[in-house]
Amino acid sequence: MLRVLYNRLRSIWHRRQKDAELDEEIRFHLAEEVEERVDAGLAPEQARAETQRDFGNVLLTRELTREAWGWAPVERLLQDIGSAFRMMRRNTGYTCAVVLTLALGIGLNAPMYEMLSRLFLLPPPHIEDPGAVHRVWLSERNDSDDRGVFTGPAIPWDRMQWSEFSALNADNALVGSVVGYTAPRSTPNGRGQTAENLRVSWVTGEFLDLLGVEPTIGRLIGPEDDDAAATPVAVVSDGYQRASFTSPQEALGATLEFDDVTYIVVGVLPPGFSGPDPDGVDVWLPLEPAVTALRGDRWRNSGFYLRPLVRLPRGLTVEAAGAAATAAVRAARADSRFRDSLDPEATVVLGSILRTRGPSSPSGEIRLALVVGGVTLLVLLIATVNMSNLLLVRVAARRRELAVRNALGAGRWGVGRLLAIESLVLATVSGAVALAVAAVAGRTLRLTLLPEHQGTVDALNFTAVGFTGFAVLAVGLCAAIAPAVYAARSRQIERLDSSRGASTLGTPVRTGLIVVQAALSLVLLSGTAVFYRSFEAARQVDVGYAKENLVTVDLAGFRRTGPLDEAAIDALESRLRSLPDVLDVAQGTNSPMWGWAAMPGPRVEGLDRLPFNEGPYVGLTTSNFFRVAGLAIVEGRGFTEWDRAETQKVAVVDTTFAHGVWPGRSAVGQCLFFGETSTDCTTVVGVVESALDRGLLDADRAAVYYLPISQASSNPIQAGFVNNMRTLVVRTRRNTARAVQPTLLALADLFPDLPRDNVRSLQTVFAPRIRTWTIGTGLFGASAALAVLLAAIGLYAVIAFGVRQHELEFGIRRALGARSSRLLRMVLARGFFLAAAGVVAGTLAALWAGRFVEPLLFDGRTPRDPLAFAAAALVLLTIAVMASFLPARRASRADPRQALEAE
Amino acid sequence: MTPASPRNQLLYGTLDLLILRTLVYGPAHGHAIAGHIQRVSEDALRIETGSLYPALHRLEARGWIAAKWKTSDKGKRARYYRLTRTGRRQLVVEQSRWQQLSVAVTRVLRPAE
Repeated sequence: MLRVLYNRLRSIWHRRQKDAELDEEIRFHLAEEVEERVDAGLAPEQARAETQRDFGNVLLTRELTREAWGWAPVERLLQDIGSAFRMMRRNTGYTCAVVLTLALGIGLNAPMYEMLSRLFLLPPPHIEDPGAVHRVWLSERNDSDDRGVFTGPAIPWDRMQWSEFSALNADNALVGSVVGYTAPRSTPNGRGQTAENLRVSWVTGEFLDLLGVEPTIGRLIGPEDDDAAATPVAVVSDGYQRASFTSPQEALGATLEFDDVTYIVVGVLPPGFSGPDPDGVDVWLPLEPAVTALRGDRWRNSGFYLRPLVRLPRGLTVEAAGAAATAAVRAARADSRFRDSLDPEATVVLGSILRTRGPSSPSGEIRLALVVGGVTLLVLLIATVNMSNLLLVRVAARRRELAVRNALGAGRWGVGRLLAIESLVLATVSGAVALAVAAVAGRTLRLTLLPEHQGTVDALNFTAVGFTGFAVLAVGLCAAIAPAVYAARSRQIERLDSSRGASTLGTPVRTGLIVVQAALSLVLLSGTAVFYRSFEAARQVDVGYAKENLVTVDLAGFRRTGPLDEAAIDALESRLRSLPDVLDVAQGTNSPMWGWAAMPGPRVEGLDRLPFNEGPYVGLTTSNFFRVAGLAIVEGRGFTEWDRAETQKVAVVDTTFAHGVWPGRSAVGQCLFFGETSTDCTTVVGVVESALDRGLLDADRAAVYYLPISQASSNPIQAGFVNNMRTLVVRTRRNTARAVQPTLLALADLFPDLPRDNVRSLQTVFAPRIRTWTIGTGLFGASAALAVLLAAIGLYAVIAFGVRQHELEFGIRRALGARSSRLLRMVLARGFFLAAAGVVAGTLAALWAGRFVEPLLFDGRTPRDPLAFAAAALVLLTIAVMASFLPARRASRADPRQALEAE
Repeated sequence: MTPASPRNQLLYGTLDLLILRTLVYGPAHGHAIAGHIQRVSEDALRIETGSLYPALHRLEARGWIAAKWKTSDKGKRARYYRLTRTGRRQLVVEQSRWQQLSVAVTRVLRPAE
């Protein structure tokens, strides 16, 4: 076999020499033959003549022999490729259109495929025998009203309380070796506004060792490091080392500071390693020192969660290990102090190391990535159909050339092969451009769709390039199918003389492709409309706060000893008030749209407990808080300057609180009681609109009551809140951007330890909540625009081609007295009906595909939205009529004289 | 692979067998091979040169025979073909295939026996 290959290759390289040798060989043969005949008694002249006759066609013999050398197919291929390139050069516009669309199609799909395969298919890199490593899922039911009754479906979580995690570890021999880690958290390295936020994950001592990763330099975190008394060490990712140090050696011994603890870098991990998740992690810290620094010595009992992983020993099945782990967790729960609030029938299931393959339903983020993958696949499909259609138009235009090829004996396969090669060459050129698109778009797509999943991945890696190669092949061949089949089957192509008879060549196929294009466009258009409706609805959700032009300055959120410095807070407030862009400043213990705190109580007369699943939360505020934050007073009054320590205790509740506690009654004038036995009435003086600090739905509005800061000192718990938490709420004049910079400067002077992130504009806090629909609308919209453009071009080409072919007929009609407006209508109608067929098919397809989008839409909105479909159909039909207008006008102006002359 | 030439009047594949068989007696050039086949078959088989050379080159490309330029008995440069080791093996295969075929054909022609 090798020898055959060698001979083939050799014969290609030494072609010229072989040609000469063949000549010589045949000459020798002829000479021998002549000699033989002369020997037999023929005259030399006659011998030569007879020899020539018997030998036959020397050229043909040579040709046939050459074919035996085996390079003929190669040469034919090169010829066809050459012809394909000539065709591309002659049709620059056509080539550019095809290459551009296809490059976009492939170039967007390659990084999408790479991203999705990393989420769903490929085990994370640098993990030894990843099949043996399992994610541990704990399924438990909810105790919705806090009464020890567990109802509803069991929900799987891939995280576990520390106490239960340790129970798994105690049964080590039974389950396998269990390690744990925390999801990466953005943590400032050092203090103050210059501190860089790094993504930090805490791991148990055996974690990195269990994964089997090898450090590129230095060592891993070991069991001896996972001890609060040990010297704190850290291991950094390759990406962070590259960004921050000139060499890996330099990184060793460097120090990092998180939560006031200094860690020494002892190792660098290999490129691409991101642990068991695709989330990017900059720094890995041993769990005990890190968690002790943030939560104090008693963290084990304070509801600390981590994600367990287990490597099963050979011979232990997933089911057996799961059963053992379930038993261990249930035993731990039975012994727990909090056993009343823990589901006693929780079960443990071991899943793949890939989170997305686990039992939980995919997160919105993952779902969106899948939908976007579907959309980019649609774009590629449209590009392929478009290319097929354009090839087909070219076949029709080139039928003379193809007929000649046919007549010369190229055969059906020959023509089919030529088309396939042209298509493949086009696809290959597009593939090259697609790599450039993928390199640029890949990073952007990843950043927009999965901002958390930023592993250190090259823009163009093996998966993306491999996908591009595969797509080129698939698209090239698929696009050639329709034209090749048509060219091979068409009898008319064999008719060299066909001038008019060929007018309907391939029309059914091309019409079909146009309808497909229109249908796919409709799917994307309706998707855009559906997402846009969700986007608008979500954008206009009233969060309670007047979030435009509002900046919050969070003064807590950093480890601190002792109470907040009131003098510094006052100084900061007056600095901010003096800024030209600042209108007013208020203070509160909660940070709007960020987080809430709760404290025990309050009690209400006639109720054992307040009827809320969570909360109620409390906000202690200055008197101008509601006005500055933009929360409207619904009933009664807000706080005033006259609500002082010595006056009547007052409270304001939000509408959720009021409706929950006093349904059908006015909250104003009711009493709240603080403390176990206190009978001091805190009078509700007003009701304020309920804010949406989390989420977007009305169900997300938590119950909140507000108390004036000025009255907090008499209650130690309230005083503690005020001492430890404070946020300045700043109302700015125009857009917030101009106020943020001076605010940061003032903050740096007075609270130098606080990180930049503590100054937040509420608009930027809000934006991520509607991200799904922003991205969905943008991506669907861009894809739909591209699709509609392509469909319009395709439709235009088909209609224009038809009109050109029937020009004579139009002329005759006019000669017979047809009005030009009638002809115009006739052609427009054809474009309209083609698009209408696409609308029908596309609507059916979109109704089916809606199920994938449905869970992503805002507040249970349906993807089967008649208005969205109507809008999509309207856009598509309008564009179709516009695309057919030019050819239609040409038809209506057909010259009757010309037609008659031609006849 | 290579389509059968219209000039090939022998059963397709038979020529290969004849060439390989001829070369068992030692290296020979194309003209000698054709002459040998013609002589041995007592003029029943005339090898068309239009089939001979494609066949020789095909067999060479497959590695069953090898070629070398040598000076002929009459002092002219000629391309001599010889059987390779794989060619020898192939000959056995082709020969037994031919025998099976000829037995089969014979059976068809005389079905009564």
